[in-house]
Amino acid sequence: MLGRENIERVAEHVWEIPRTFRQDMRVPARLYADQDLLDAALLDNSIVQLVNTATLPGIVKYAIAMPDIHQGYGFPIGGVMATRLPEGVISPGGVGYDINCGVRLLVALGSVQEIQPYLEDIASRLYANCPSGVGSHGPLHLSNAELQRVLHDGSRWMLDKGYASLLDLDRTEEFGRIAGADAAFVSDRAQERGRSQLGTLGAGNHFIEVDKVAEVYDDAAAARLGIYSGNIAVQIHCGSRGLGHQICEDYVSRFQKTARDYGIELPDRQLVCAPFDSKDGQEYFHAMACAANFAFANRQLLACMIRRSFEEALMGKVKNFELHQVYDIAHNMAKVEEHYVGGRSVRVCVHRKGATRAFGPGSSVLPDDLRDLGQPVLIPGSMGTASYVLIGTKGAMEETFGSTCHGAGRVMSRAKAKRMVRGTALRDQLKSRGILVCAGSMSGLAEEAPAAYKDVARVVEVVHKLGIGRKIARLEPVAVIKG
Amino acid sequence: MRGFEEIDHTADRAFRVYGRDMAALLENAARAMQALDGPRPLAEPSATREIEVEGVDRETLLVNWLNEILYLEQAHRLVCTGFQIYEVQDHHMRARVETCEGGRSLTHIKAVTFHNLQLRETSEGLEAELVVDV
Repeated sequence: MLGRENIERVAEHVWEIPRTFRQDMRVPARLYADQDLLDAALLDNSIVQLVNTATLPGIVKYAIAMPDIHQGYGFPIGGVMATRLPEGVISPGGVGYDINCGVRLLVALGSVQEIQPYLEDIASRLYANCPSGVGSHGPLHLSNAELQRVLHDGSRWMLDKGYASLLDLDRTEEFGRIAGADAAFVSDRAQERGRSQLGTLGAGNHFIEVDKVAEVYDDAAAARLGIYSGNIAVQIHCGSRGLGHQICEDYVSRFQKTARDYGIELPDRQLVCAPFDSKDGQEYFHAMACAANFAFANRQLLACMIRRSFEEALMGKVKNFELHQVYDIAHNMAKVEEHYVGGRSVRVCVHRKGATRAFGPGSSVLPDDLRDLGQPVLIPGSMGTASYVLIGTKGAMEETFGSTCHGAGRVMSRAKAKRMVRGTALRDQLKSRGILVCAGSMSGLAEEAPAAYKDVARVVEVVHKLGIGRKIARLEPVAVIKG
Repeated sequence: MRGFEEIDHTADRAFRVYGRDMAALLENAARAMQALDGPRPLAEPSATREIEVEGVDRETLLVNWLNEILYLEQAHRLVCTGFQIYEVQDHHMRARVETCEGGRSLTHIKAVTFHNLQLRETSEGLEAELVVDV
């Protein structure tokens, strides 16, 4: 059992479970939270899952949990784990089924007030143009060769086909294409599942949301990103759909044997892994990169369909509704990066499972025009609540492998949320607060009730105070499209 | 003997499944997953499918079997309504599944995980706890 007595306070909002807590831990486990968020994390198995990740071969520094930590499977959600290469491992279960699940933010120069009379029309067009639900099919029918290009090139394929602009790519993590993708390591079944799903939202906690920029905390930084108070913003939250799910499933199943072959002993079978530079580790990495590129392309096509929906609803009626991309970030991914560990630059494989890359000013991987500012970080709240735009910091580079939180984090199970909340009542309640909701499933809506989540403002306040993310703006929802 | 029951899980869904033997456990696990968040059939079963699954051990067999059902439902838009397990060994199983055309899949389950999965032998047979990603 793990209780409050096993957790040491290191500094304000910084907690640690020492390596001595369990014999199989290779590094301490570190949790960033205020007192209440720590107490919430102790209500389920989140912290045990965090300790489990501290046992993985090659892990350096700490197993890290963000303030939005909650119980997942294998890794906790809100977890960051870096392994030293070449001997450190890569874990498909650590990345999860929705490879490169992430968030894209678009903004317009027009105000929400101007589009308010047309909001219902916008919401219905978004719902019609952006297919949702687990098995939904998208607008493109890709040949085998085209799918292979998407897996290899990600958003660049979208640029070639006219579904993206150069600015969209510039404002996407990895510029919309992660290196190392090789479709030879993606099963036929995964390709079959992905072929028809490009441009679809999926289900669960995935959404498209029309927002109002409710508050700006740093005018100069926000202006650099095109964010102004009162203006229109749109968020897309989704990932690699059935293709990513199948790739994870294929490799987690295969690695049940692989991990044993490498003599890796694990406290949880979902944590199966292989040395990064091994044949098995590399094959998973090639396949994962394909799913990551598919997800970048998926959010790009959805952005295109959203722009089309805005045009259909607003052309000739209001001005300045054109949507410009602020940024697109991944929050389920394993990436090869260089970080300082013990004063030395080390090549590591950073697993972010429900955590966001948050590179600070000066990072060479940022687009030229944002390099001195830092990377935009997008933190969606739970349905009907605020979301935040942050900027990556030097503090995140030093403390958390350039990572920060990813959202609110659940505190209530889906089953309990459904027992406590009726989907139709929630929809009406949100409508009375000026938030339109289009959802494919009322029970799915109930599962995502705001009461099932932690307070995102509190989560963001912790990372802001710790200096592993800097608040730039707050968004409030006016219309939500859910699978 | 109980077939299955849902257990609490913060972010995803989880259930405990029972069976007097491995075949019954596999059948009950499929029924549990359908009851938890599976698509609802809109018509009588119209076809049967033979399914063959392999795994390095019984736990892997169980997960691979359930993921096979999800694949049929999500990639082929079928609803699986009846499950007959007619051959089970430690690394291999064969089953016959009744299906109907389900139209748009309603299931929210993305995949079945190995999280803390361990088949336990009890005085009544076997039991296991499964977490599914939603």
